[in-house]
Amino acid sequence: MQHPYLILTSFFGMFGLDGWAAKHPHVTYMWLAMIILIFLGWLGGKSISMVPKKAQNVFEVLISGLEEFMVTITGDEGRKSFPLVLTIFIFVLFGNLMGLVPAFFPPTANINTTLALAIIAVAWSHVIGIQLHGVKYIKHFLGPIPAMIPLFLPIEIIGHTARVLSLTFRLFGNMAGHELVTIILLTLGGMFLAPLPVMALGTFVALVQALVFFLLSTMYIAGAIEEAH
Amino acid sequence: MKKETGSVFRELGYFASLGMSVALSIFLGLFLGLWLDKKFDTDPVLMFIGLALGIAAGFSNIVRAGKKGRKF
Repeated sequence: MQHPYLILTSFFGMFGLDGWAAKHPHVTYMWLAMIILIFLGWLGGKSISMVPKKAQNVFEVLISGLEEFMVTITGDEGRKSFPLVLTIFIFVLFGNLMGLVPAFFPPTANINTTLALAIIAVAWSHVIGIQLHGVKYIKHFLGPIPAMIPLFLPIEIIGHTARVLSLTFRLFGNMAGHELVTIILLTLGGMFLAPLPVMALGTFVALVQALVFFLLSTMYIAGAIEEAH
Repeated sequence: MKKETGSVFRELGYFASLGMSVALSIFLGLFLGLWLDKKFDTDPVLMFIGLALGIAAGFSNIVRAGKKGRKF
């Protein structure tokens, strides 16, 4: 279920890629989000000075605020993985907010995008754990008693796979549900003002889901950093 | 951001994600068991083992959250 008219699909239709773009709106809109974010990053980074001007001020407040927030959770070792997690946060926030614009499709309302993001976040937490602990990182999966390893290992593997799934389904479900409710209200309640309350709620949901995704990836990284139990 | 606000958000995010991870762990174990059953042709045995492992994984999440909750 998506917006009946997507502007990028007609744009790709000019090059004869109509069918492909209509089938994969999440890919084309993810490209759009990436282009806009890269442009914003270039805009924020092109004239860095010691005394920040307007644009640099906004980016600095956003980035340093979130960095301090992350360091309170993970400790100082987590500072290294901050760029990745912040990128995920901004991308998810931007992708969610794209759903509020008419003729746009939020890339996060497709399960492929959210699964990719979740795999990246969880896999990175394991990379951090292996970097910090080396071979001893496997102790995270073995439980406290050596004799019960055959029991604990499958349990931990299931638990860690469930992390990927829970990140995936939470974001996908919220955003796809928001799209669905908006479309239903649009078809039931007339052309203009009917979906407005849901869209107002949608701005809130977009922010909260992006924050939750950021927070949970931070928690997983913090769990990989701390010593095994 | 102040330190108390950070800790409140952290607890909120952690405990809010708990229910979902319990449910998903159980289903993951169940479907893993079903898939392995099809693969090795041992119909109900591995399904029950997978289900038990999934339930154990889900509840170990709760136990760990309880231990963590005392530390916060």
